[in-house]
Amino acid sequence: MANNKFDIYIVGLGGQGVLTIGEIIADAAFNKGIPVNFFPTKGMSQRGGFVRAQLRMGRDEPGPSIPAKGADLVISMERSESLKAVRYLKPGADFLLYGLVWAPTAVMLGKAPYPTLAEVWTEIEKAHGKVAYLDPKTLPEYKEKKVRDNIYVLGAVMAETGLKNIFTPEDIIAAVNERWPKGAEENLFAFQAGLKASVYRNMPQNT
Amino acid sequence: MKKIVSGNEAVVLAALASGVKVVAGYPGTPSSEAIGSLMKMGKLEGTEVEWSTNEKVAVEITGAAAWAGKRSLCTMKMSGLNVAYDSLISIAYSGCKGGMVVYVCDDPGVSAGMCEQDTRGFALMSDMPMLEPASVAETYELTKFAFELSEAIETPVFVRSVTNVAQSHAVVDIEERTLPSPEKAVWEKDINRYAKAGAAMCMAQHRRLIDSLAKASKIIAERGLNKVEPAPEKGGLGIISVGVVNGYLEEGLELAREAGCNVQEVSTLKLKTTVPFPADEVRAILRHCNTVLVLEELEPYLERGVYIEAYKLGVKVKIVGKLDGTLSRIGDYSAVQVAKGICTALGQEIPANLLADSDSAVEKAAARPITCCAGCPHRGTYMAINQALKNAGYKKDEVIVTGDIGCTILGMNPPFNTVWMEISMGASIPSAQGFVYSGVENPVIATIGDSTFFHAGISGLINAIQHGVNLTVVIMDNGWTAMTGMQVNPGTGSEFQQPGCTQVDLVKVVEGLGVENLFVVDPYNLEETTKAFDKALTLPGVKVVVTRRECAIQAARRKIKYATMTVDQEKCNLCKLCINITGCPAIELGEDSINIDQAQCIGCGLCAEVCKRSAIVKEAK
Repeated sequence: MANNKFDIYIVGLGGQGVLTIGEIIADAAFNKGIPVNFFPTKGMSQRGGFVRAQLRMGRDEPGPSIPAKGADLVISMERSESLKAVRYLKPGADFLLYGLVWAPTAVMLGKAPYPTLAEVWTEIEKAHGKVAYLDPKTLPEYKEKKVRDNIYVLGAVMAETGLKNIFTPEDIIAAVNERWPKGAEENLFAFQAGLKASVYRNMPQNT
Repeated sequence: MKKIVSGNEAVVLAALASGVKVVAGYPGTPSSEAIGSLMKMGKLEGTEVEWSTNEKVAVEITGAAAWAGKRSLCTMKMSGLNVAYDSLISIAYSGCKGGMVVYVCDDPGVSAGMCEQDTRGFALMSDMPMLEPASVAETYELTKFAFELSEAIETPVFVRSVTNVAQSHAVVDIEERTLPSPEKAVWEKDINRYAKAGAAMCMAQHRRLIDSLAKASKIIAERGLNKVEPAPEKGGLGIISVGVVNGYLEEGLELAREAGCNVQEVSTLKLKTTVPFPADEVRAILRHCNTVLVLEELEPYLERGVYIEAYKLGVKVKIVGKLDGTLSRIGDYSAVQVAKGICTALGQEIPANLLADSDSAVEKAAARPITCCAGCPHRGTYMAINQALKNAGYKKDEVIVTGDIGCTILGMNPPFNTVWMEISMGASIPSAQGFVYSGVENPVIATIGDSTFFHAGISGLINAIQHGVNLTVVIMDNGWTAMTGMQVNPGTGSEFQQPGCTQVDLVKVVEGLGVENLFVVDPYNLEETTKAFDKALTLPGVKVVVTRRECAIQAARRKIKYATMTVDQEKCNLCKLCINITGCPAIELGEDSINIDQAQCIGCGLCAEVCKRSAIVKEAK
């Protein structure tokens, strides 16, 4: 990973902690002295609204936007939103797909379509992405409560994608703890569960 | 101290380091976090910080502070500059003593749902220097410089950012705050400079303004802000770029190289200003190169200047940019547009991966229309309007409902489909009047929020009252400037304002205007609110319905829960009426009944009010 040039495109929905993933990685880069530009797009961000973030590392004062086919890593926190990131994926790069389904009202009422996992998977493969699928059903509990899925996803990202060539898990843990000194134990649990989580490299047949 | 800050924060941190005395503005995405982050710092001894009623008020306050010799900062989004500009151009004519910086954010690519206007046009019109930072760190440096420049030329200076820079976060070396100068505020009476009523004084001021821009040009050149890097050989490609596009240059050259372009012999000119126009540097490029590529987002202001300089020099140079159709005036740029421009300029075929192909993946994604948050009081207002129109015998889309800026526009989306249009802050009421004047026979309803009403809605209401127009005005008063991230406005409760600020009671204001048919209702009470509209629609003249209930997000932040909503599994037959009418995101479709997400639900009770089987039960907390 010469000079740590690495671009990450993150998508998901308001309320999922999408931007926090970006902030933690940006903090970790700052701690290591890697130049970083973090550009969250909140728009009219609200619970359930589209949120994306672009993180550019290893360049001095880069333009904030990643060009089409430029991202070394895509992290998607929701199945349908994944489709909005496909065009930014560099051919051959990692695509961490957390398969949560968050149906908009019209979909819930059966008035609008929602993509199947197969459709999403096909689009990522057409863009020559390497899919790592994390099943939301595997989200663990800590003291009988589901952990934050963003920290769990971040663990899986560190285990399964090229981000591990830039940071050690300890780098990320340190950044997480700086952010929430209080919930350190729970976050560590969620992160380590993510690190150990098994991801699908081929499309699961029963989801 | 080095730390990660946003572009917006960088502006106010630079202002604090520069000894700013007065900061005022009006919220507007993407600029809101500038004053927002100052507000979070608590009381700043010696510096006045406020959210003003509107941008014009803010620019007048900061202008006068600068006249009195103090440094001042005014912040706004691009649409806000339109509001402020009447005063700003006049202040520019008079000039200033203390440094005055106007921070304005454009939104190429439209992340906030407004016009893609390029405010560099305003800088041209009022001969004010406009600094265009390419990055967060540069925002900090250029804001500090803007104060110095403004004092040196005695004219206000713009710092113009764009969403992608303003909302980016990066490392900046932040200096300590410098306290505002302890010298007494002194303003010398000089009507020739500070008044306008006289042709001679106006034209003298105009001359001074033009001279001050020329002076700015010289200072910027001495500082070497605009960097020419000529290739060793003459006759090659020259690239002129400005602002955020500078950050994409290196990457665009890489992409062009991969596409087969020979980019060894490229001259570059990276600019930090379009106004003043960097004529000397542009001429240097025009003399050195045979093809010049101009890279700027939105309008071709820079490019037009390059054509003029080429004409004046009499050089035959091919100019590539927007005016030859290569690049677009629409949307924000990335390295892709830079590479496209380079390929075109060098006569290289543009590779397929740089051409905007239709995005088949995005087309398959589920649509997510933005809607009201769970518990949003506006939901009750739209439901009541829709019900009252039905009660009065109107079919769908037979009654015009004008809209306004802010969360209240969400009534345009499903499931309400209530609101028809929006123009600008406060336009809902005059536009409703226009429809009435045009001869529309059915009733016309205007909808507006509290902050928007105070900002620019009140003058439209006064006009409608004066002229006795038949219309119904709905002021949705949730007590906050919500859409931009919960800022205070004149109607916000005193307890949430800065010490010493007073709440202005919106209802008393409307009463004071002499509105006879005024209804003040709680939009959580669907029956009462619907009845108010039923009645208003039968009355002549200006009727005002104030639907009053605090923004649910703000109430929830203070742990308020009005009631607990539960579902009676036996009674719920999954008719989905509650979802179809309220569209509340806290209601989910379960297997045997609907479910209510208690984490989101604030207990507004609107779902229970529409359930025909009493299957949703509201239990008081």
